[in-house]
Amino acid sequence: MTAGLSLHGVHLTRGAVTALRGVDLVVDRGELLVVLGPSGAGKSSLLRAIAGLDPVTGGTVKIGGRDVTGLRPGQRNVSMVFQSYSLLPHLTVADNIAFGHRIRGADRRAAAARAAQAAATVGCQDLLTRRPHQLSGGERQRVALARVLVREPDVFLLDEPLANLDAGLRTRMRTEIRAVHDRLGATTVYVTHDQSEAMALGDRIAVLRDGRIEQVDTPDEVWHRPRTRHVASFVGAPGMNLLPGDGPLRLPGVQASAVELGVRPEHVRLGGDGTTRDGPPGDVERVEVLGEDALVHVRLGGHALIARVPARTRPAPGDRVTVGVAEEHLHAFDLVTGERIPLPAGAGRAAAR
Amino acid sequence: MSRDRRQLLLMLTPYLVGLVVLVLLPAAATMAMAFTETDLIAGSRLVGWDNFVELTGDPAVRAAVGNSLSYLAVSVPLRLVLAVGLALLLHRRARAVGTARAAVLLPGAVPELAYGLLWLWLLNPIQGPVNQLLMLGGQGGRTMFGSLPPQWLTDPEDARAGIVLMSLFTIGETFVIVLTARLALPPEAYELAELEGAHAGQVLRRVTLPLLAPVLTVLVVRDTLLSLQASFVPTLVVTNGGPPPYATTYLSLVLYQDAFEYLRYGYAAAVAALMLALTAVAVLIQWRLLRRWASRGLVGGQARLPGN
Repeated sequence: MTAGLSLHGVHLTRGAVTALRGVDLVVDRGELLVVLGPSGAGKSSLLRAIAGLDPVTGGTVKIGGRDVTGLRPGQRNVSMVFQSYSLLPHLTVADNIAFGHRIRGADRRAAAARAAQAAATVGCQDLLTRRPHQLSGGERQRVALARVLVREPDVFLLDEPLANLDAGLRTRMRTEIRAVHDRLGATTVYVTHDQSEAMALGDRIAVLRDGRIEQVDTPDEVWHRPRTRHVASFVGAPGMNLLPGDGPLRLPGVQASAVELGVRPEHVRLGGDGTTRDGPPGDVERVEVLGEDALVHVRLGGHALIARVPARTRPAPGDRVTVGVAEEHLHAFDLVTGERIPLPAGAGRAAAR
Repeated sequence: MSRDRRQLLLMLTPYLVGLVVLVLLPAAATMAMAFTETDLIAGSRLVGWDNFVELTGDPAVRAAVGNSLSYLAVSVPLRLVLAVGLALLLHRRARAVGTARAAVLLPGAVPELAYGLLWLWLLNPIQGPVNQLLMLGGQGGRTMFGSLPPQWLTDPEDARAGIVLMSLFTIGETFVIVLTARLALPPEAYELAELEGAHAGQVLRRVTLPLLAPVLTVLVVRDTLLSLQASFVPTLVVTNGGPPPYATTYLSLVLYQDAFEYLRYGYAAAVAALMLALTAVAVLIQWRLLRRWASRGLVGGQARLPGN
């Protein structure tokens, strides 16, 4: 089976800015791949390179096995949802959805029928006669989605389609997008800077940083086995704690001075009054309550560390606590390259000095 | 009244005073004068509707109404097409685009009288550069198209065409407005069309023109208002309303001649009233048409894309 989409060594330079520095990526047919990264990582550039809106300065782009690197956007058979939705204000919802069909020469009636069908898929069939300025943000978003669904492109590209919606609507829409994808089974690349969106939506996540892909894996893998320290600290809210290997936390079997140790806030256990033997003692500096959970900022032997604990059992600022971390929850990264170091199997308790 | 409002009113006052003293009062006085016979020497006397009755039978006025309307119908669309075309051509960054933009603006910066005198030379049938250009490669005193060279100053049709030709170079303001509006259009709309494989004609017809429509609407109305007056200086300087009797006599020229050559201020005021009425009718018709198109979704809407 050929891949739905594959990129090999893709470079993209615009003026003095290098947006992509050798991206290799294979998206399976029917897969929903989420590209995750901080702003400026090159996420949108990656989509634009796939779409052909920005010509690549190196490497190849293949869609369904067909080399499209030198083709214009209109010849690549891709559809794109822009962050701003990009609805044309002079057209009704129906005409906006049918826009691509009409451009490609479909007659008015056939295009309208397809538009109505696509609108029904995303639940905006009641809006067909309205104009964009009469729609709410969520409705515009649906229309923009319907517009890419109206054709049967080889690849769907979505550029932060939910970024302009409020939090509640965003959660609802991402569930719907996933449902629509599962029904249609189309190869999809979805760009976001929101990691919970990435976790919830993606079959796999590609973490992009500084124009390079740091890791492509399932959400589980990205969470449990981040391949670099950047992935570790970017994914998670807040991200993974990173401490020097020869600091307060220790991991037997690795060279302490050559590694950084990571632990997710969720895996830090705070106990007692700092006198038990479960781990080194730390001082609570600040506590942020987030409903059920609380984020506890602990100073541990000169290093800052965040722990996520149930809000009921949270300590108070100024308390002295024991910081306990199970060894299986520790991650080690090479201090120089930032790459993950496979951990020696069979470990007992860590962190006790 | 709140402090802010008082301040606003204070700042508006100079303009309002100017508007009333320099525009509204003279306009009202002119309308009143249209019902009098005034020559500024013997004083004035009321004559009722006499001036208007005389208007209807005045061959100069009749010719001028026809000329003015045909000038509107030809010049306004041509000017708009030219300005839009140049703006769309010159909106991209490229070599010499700045110079080209300046070149489009420049003729509008020439004082009207100088502009008129310049065209008097340009349109000279024998030594004028326009005809010299047309006759390049022509045989036996004919133009390159094989026709006799236009007699800009002596043939009625050619003279009217000459006046329109003169108007086609003073499109700087319209050009700048369209250029700015085009630059403000969202790039996503174009990328969307690009992704669908739209060719240049489709982009123009389905994206650019509809998105520019609200601006173009305003420009058409504005150009119509200005055109009735814009024909004045050229005709005064270049053709003086001729060739005789009235080939290029426009309402603005009739008004001027009646007032300042024949000193018939009352009658000239009646001509001004006629001009005002014609302008109002022209704008009203355009407005109606545009309203109808807008209700069918052909024009209007917001120039900006919603969202973001």
